[in-house]
Amino acid sequence: MEKRVIDFITALRARGVRISIAESIDAMRAAEAAGVGDKDFFRAALRATLVKEYPDQPVFDELFPNFFGLETPQMPQMPGSGLTDEEYEQFMEQLMEQLQNMTPEQLRQLFEAMMTGQGMSREEMQQLIDSAASLGEISLRFAPPSYAARRAMRELQFDKLNELLDALMEKLREAGMSEEAIQQLMQEARQNQAALAQQMADQIGQGMAQREARENQARREAEDIMDRPFEQFGAQDADDMRAVIQRLASQLRSRVALRQKKAAKGSLDAKTTLRANMRFGAVPFDVRYRHKHLKPKLTVIVDRSVSTEQVVSFLLMLIYALQDQVSRTRSFAFIETIYDVTPFFNDNRPEQAIGQVMQEVRSKRSYSTDLGASMAALMDTYAGAIDRRTTVIVLGDARNNENDPRLDMLEAIKRRARRVVWFNPEPPYMWGRYDPGSLSSDMLKYQPLCDAVHHVSNLRQLVAAVDSLF
Amino acid sequence: MKSIKDIRAALAQQQYVATDEIATVVFLAQQLGKPVLAEGPAGVGKTELAKVWAAAGGRELIRLQCYEGLDETKALYEWEYAKQLLYTQLMRDKLNDLMAGTSTLAEAADRLAAEEDVFFSQRFMLQRPLLKAIMSEQPVLLLIDEIDRADAEFEAFLLEVLSDFQISVPEIGTIKAKHQPMVLLTSNNTRELSEALKRRCLFLHVGYPSVESELEVVKLKVPGLPPKLAQQAVEMVQRLREMDLKKNPSVSETIDWARALLELNAKHIDKGILDTTLNVLLKYEGDIQKAKRQLIRDETRGKAEREGRDGGAGDDGRRGRRGGEDDWTRGRNN
Repeated sequence: MEKRVIDFITALRARGVRISIAESIDAMRAAEAAGVGDKDFFRAALRATLVKEYPDQPVFDELFPNFFGLETPQMPQMPGSGLTDEEYEQFMEQLMEQLQNMTPEQLRQLFEAMMTGQGMSREEMQQLIDSAASLGEISLRFAPPSYAARRAMRELQFDKLNELLDALMEKLREAGMSEEAIQQLMQEARQNQAALAQQMADQIGQGMAQREARENQARREAEDIMDRPFEQFGAQDADDMRAVIQRLASQLRSRVALRQKKAAKGSLDAKTTLRANMRFGAVPFDVRYRHKHLKPKLTVIVDRSVSTEQVVSFLLMLIYALQDQVSRTRSFAFIETIYDVTPFFNDNRPEQAIGQVMQEVRSKRSYSTDLGASMAALMDTYAGAIDRRTTVIVLGDARNNENDPRLDMLEAIKRRARRVVWFNPEPPYMWGRYDPGSLSSDMLKYQPLCDAVHHVSNLRQLVAAVDSLF
Repeated sequence: MKSIKDIRAALAQQQYVATDEIATVVFLAQQLGKPVLAEGPAGVGKTELAKVWAAAGGRELIRLQCYEGLDETKALYEWEYAKQLLYTQLMRDKLNDLMAGTSTLAEAADRLAAEEDVFFSQRFMLQRPLLKAIMSEQPVLLLIDEIDRADAEFEAFLLEVLSDFQISVPEIGTIKAKHQPMVLLTSNNTRELSEALKRRCLFLHVGYPSVESELEVVKLKVPGLPPKLAQQAVEMVQRLREMDLKKNPSVSETIDWARALLELNAKHIDKGILDTTLNVLLKYEGDIQKAKRQLIRDETRGKAEREGRDGGAGDDGRRGRRGGEDDWTRGRNN
């Protein structure tokens, strides 16, 4: 029992569920307390102690039946229990005779287990399964456990059990047993046979899951996502992405909140201090300070082109997941000119809003990106979006299609804003280098005007860059 | 409450529909003496669980509501300065007597120090929920509500209390729990809780219930509602949950709605009733508009399909079945 729980925990860990030693001990105690009598309770007990993240519960539910599918490998019937003593003796005699000269050994074992109702222990069954040679090659990744089970049964000649049963019954009939008794025996034997088949299938499925667990142990899914380059994310990763972003955002949020709390306090707030200390006879026991307004205002300007699509949506998702730490966010997308995309985010949830932005703001012709003109338009129309408390984030590769980079405009933005931070998805060695696909890069010209420039090509870098904003 | 089944029966007696999972976790919490962390959307009965658990076990419920900026003085204990000041004022004569005859300042200070214990005793201590739970003479159930609203540092502080069930007060010493309290923490998952806290707790995810159990809840809480109407109402709520809304209606809102339906003496759920009562279920104007639009769309589609079917047009089973499900005004048409 304990071993099976431990195997189960190993398999869960291999699938990325974090389980500490203390939790395994809890699981053992919980399993003991809940008992194995009722599978639902047992399962709930393990789940409450092992799985502490709701998104991990499907993994638990998927693996659980493989390990605890059949609690008691007990046969449902004891064939012959309804017979008279005389008939039973007859039945046993015939059975022994038939068993004596039966080959192969595996089939004999199965038939004996089925007819005597003694069943097979896990070890016996495992030996039997192992003797089906070709099974080891089937991987869970390519075939469901039911396929492997069918194949094993074919190899072990499971079908032959039917013939053997018929033969035995025929002999009993010749020996003069009543038809009624024979029918009952048949039925009981068939039930046992089905139970054996089920036991075998469960055990095969479990074995495959365990093997899978061992093979995958080294792989760490979450780490992988953090370091995977943005361009390798596809639509199929959308759910993973959202989960990761949520997790990262909440980590960032508590970090940022803590930092703001710990930050140097503002000046003495005499009014509040007086009021708070009225009860002490105006002796200032409890000194109150003004809070410094540390929550930044953000203005995000993103490059809406195909190459930056992934990083843009990641950045926006992160920023909008952190809304409670930001006093105000304005978002703009630029192609040949600037588009205010803030309204999309006012009415919808971030993922939907990003989808809409991608739908509605798209370039009509290629090579149309013009950051210079876009910045000029921004300063012309939306200059109010930038004030002395605003941190301006520009996300783009600074490839301007030979248009005027309008450094004066970035300078004007910088003068108005608290900080200008640039996120560039290209690696630093590409900055300022001519690229036949996307022409010249003005990054090196913009760089001196920015307070910070971050290279963001994967989630880890992006999170670090966003973290530095607060 | 010796077995899981007993617990479920006890909770049912308090009018709480407990799933297998909830009953098992409550059982384990009592057996292993571990805190329970209940997570899930708002209004699915997490706080309610604490109330019925306390009632079923005959324990007193002590509640600590968390919020941003909650600290030890609000959660654990605080010295009652005002009372201390008042006492010193009133006992001035006594203090003068005490000090009488001392020649040096040091001597006076020593005498005063000897009496210090009077002022830093439990008499002048304001007990906040955590200390109250620990010092209680009777076994209690401590509900730490919405722990995700508290700051991360408070969470860390809580770890100490939850693992040892004792509190150190510098002036008094260590206070150990007389009875280990049962602890239920709830979280709406607005923030990721720390690994350390999760590790110490039994985890319980309370989600939206299935049609059957929600119906059971409605029947328990609003017994006067006709069964057929209750069924319709619950199915409606479940449908709303499938729509992409800003805030899904929770069980508590289902109960409110069922009560409203009962008060309004509704016979069945039709457009008029929905128009007037949808705001009980949905709390955003945008959601209400969206739900109405979608319901009308479904209705017209359902009607068209029904007519198509009546007209003998070759309709496959799937669409036919959908039409039936979406027909939310069937009651009115009858």
